[in-house]
Amino acid sequence: MRQPNWMSRRQFMGRTGRAALALPCLPAILAACSKPGSVPTGTTPSVRFLARPDKPVSLPLRGQPIPTDTPIEKGATLFVYNWADYIWKKTISEFEQKFDCRVEYTSFTSLEEALQKITAGAIRPDVYFPGPSYIGRLVYQDMLQPLNHDLIPNMTQNVWTTFWDPGPWYDQGWRYSVPYTVLSTGVAYRRDRVSDEQAAAGGYDLLWDPAYNGKISYYDSMPDAIGMAILRNGGTDVNSGDPKTIDAARDAILELLTGLDGRLTYNGVYVKLPAGEFTVAQAWSGDTVAAQYYLPKGTGTDVLGYWHPQDRPGLVGNDIISIPTSAQSPRLAHEFINFLLDAKVGFENFAYWTGYMPPFTSIDPDKLVAQGVIPKSLSTSVVTQDMMEHGYQLAELSPAAEDLWTSAWDQIKAGA
Amino acid sequence: MPDEELLLKKARRKASPEGAVESGVWYPRWYWPSFAAPATIWIAILFVLAFYVVISVAFGTVDPLFRNPLPVYEPWWWSGATFSDVLSKFVGSDAFFLPAAMRTLIYVAAASVLCLVLGYGVAYYVSRYGGRRKGLFLVLLISPFWISYLMRVYAWQSLLTEDGFINDGLRFLHLIPHPVNWLDGRPTTVILGLVYGYIPYMILPIYGQLDRINQDLLEAGRDLGASPIQTFWRVTLPLSRQAILAGMVIVTLPMFGDYYTNDLLGSTKTAMYGNLIDTTINSPGHGPQAGSLVIILVVLLALPMAYYLRTTKRAVESA
Repeated sequence: MRQPNWMSRRQFMGRTGRAALALPCLPAILAACSKPGSVPTGTTPSVRFLARPDKPVSLPLRGQPIPTDTPIEKGATLFVYNWADYIWKKTISEFEQKFDCRVEYTSFTSLEEALQKITAGAIRPDVYFPGPSYIGRLVYQDMLQPLNHDLIPNMTQNVWTTFWDPGPWYDQGWRYSVPYTVLSTGVAYRRDRVSDEQAAAGGYDLLWDPAYNGKISYYDSMPDAIGMAILRNGGTDVNSGDPKTIDAARDAILELLTGLDGRLTYNGVYVKLPAGEFTVAQAWSGDTVAAQYYLPKGTGTDVLGYWHPQDRPGLVGNDIISIPTSAQSPRLAHEFINFLLDAKVGFENFAYWTGYMPPFTSIDPDKLVAQGVIPKSLSTSVVTQDMMEHGYQLAELSPAAEDLWTSAWDQIKAGA
Repeated sequence: MPDEELLLKKARRKASPEGAVESGVWYPRWYWPSFAAPATIWIAILFVLAFYVVISVAFGTVDPLFRNPLPVYEPWWWSGATFSDVLSKFVGSDAFFLPAAMRTLIYVAAASVLCLVLGYGVAYYVSRYGGRRKGLFLVLLISPFWISYLMRVYAWQSLLTEDGFINDGLRFLHLIPHPVNWLDGRPTTVILGLVYGYIPYMILPIYGQLDRINQDLLEAGRDLGASPIQTFWRVTLPLSRQAILAGMVIVTLPMFGDYYTNDLLGSTKTAMYGNLIDTTINSPGHGPQAGSLVIILVVLLALPMAYYLRTTKRAVESA
């Protein structure tokens, strides 16, 4: 006899919910049936809440995590897809030795580029660093697998509580991601040319100061570029969908690039600022810390300064690690994540290479300067749990808002 | 006389493929065209099909979640909305693509004329005065291709920085009072990069043609009283006209789509048409716009290309 096909409560709720969503627009779906592209792919609900720090989202569990007793893949090659220069080589070789495997590191220059290559299937990594803005879409497209929490004990042992209880705003209950590093976005400057008082008084306007004409660097990254220009113009919603706000941000960046001879760069902060090519630069905190390793011989680390708003919230964010559904070595990928969250490994990776701090309870932000990890002049680059809770964070944009942002960005890059 | 003509006719027929029938060997009709088949298939796949995909992207849509381009292959579903939206960025009040297009036209014109002037001189020297060292010169001309263009432009980057050799040299010669930041988005630097990158493609066809010019023709010109300049102007230059046209076509077409020269040596102030395509294709949801930009460029470039093909055809017919 066949078993009656019972639905679980979760399934029932999900299905009725989808039916309720679908029914009113049934004619539209029927009409569009044969027209390619107009029907949302898969079972993506047509209305999806966009995660915001004050509106956290639990991503649906699609599929099961791998079983805890999955054997570790032997002699495998682990494909890691991450920002360039974002894991210390020694960290990687230690992992290779410990698990008798090979790690192949492929890098991208922007989250948008990475997303495009992943969704097109051009790159199929085992471990991927997608960024909080894109994780929601990836989950709805079944491109990430849920994590097996038992295989990542270091998460609850070492990481700030907020990232696992209740979990971050973009992935409550850390079903698909663990944090890699925390960072703030501010203004890096050469202290031999700009005093700390000038920097504190200028703030974002340091980047728009004609005194530094031709010596200004701005990130060649749409979300960071437009997000900071919104704050500079006095806005507070760094994920704005308001055309006027975005036009004003675009005009500010065009003024910076055309009127003030600023440059869009990827490595302006950690390579060209220490070389003296730039005087002020839009900067992620970790890039500024890493810049100390690129200083010419004989130049002290105190020429580097970093401004981030002290009296009001500024831009903060974090990078995340996930495992794509298509991973060939999912168990090894879990081990890799757990390895990066190891207190000693993560700290060394930060202190000797990336300059980006992992959110570990074992790291005392107040002691980093005394320990010599962060130069005294860069103490403002330290990110605290409090900053993460109150700062502005870049998040997923609605399609309409994204269209405004990308159009503004197209115009900025067209030099008009 | 009629006999002679007959003989000549026979000889011609024997030499022609159809003549083979008479000599006893039979080839099916598809035999000779089949030699062109591999190239035809190659072009069909790599150009015609690929271009159809570009059109399908331009008139297609985007995936609603990731906003990656979703090509639409059925022409009856094509939508021209994106295309006309892109066109409106070239004309009208919000024409922010127009400056880059104009820049491209000016840069490419300047760079290709410079390529021609410099390249012609080099080709002329090698073909007329190269003597025994011709082979060496040719190897030297091709040698830059042994190193990737990217690496060579990185070398230019370090030469052109404020404390680079170029500034040092110019200051040593007292040509400039202060170091110049050549890399802050200057048209001259971008044009220099374009000339540097493409000049070998100009030299080689011109050299090939000049090398084949019958020296007797030049001597005849001199014997008939023409000065060296007149001989060049009235004999050498007209004979190399086809090579100049070929060189210009080979050089300008890729320059119009070039984006990395400006990426590496310029800034957004010197953004070119290729950069527009590069930026839009990397902007989420703007894949169809990139496709439209490609189509507009292809249509614009088809005009000079058609002129080139017509003159080549004429030259072949009159030869």
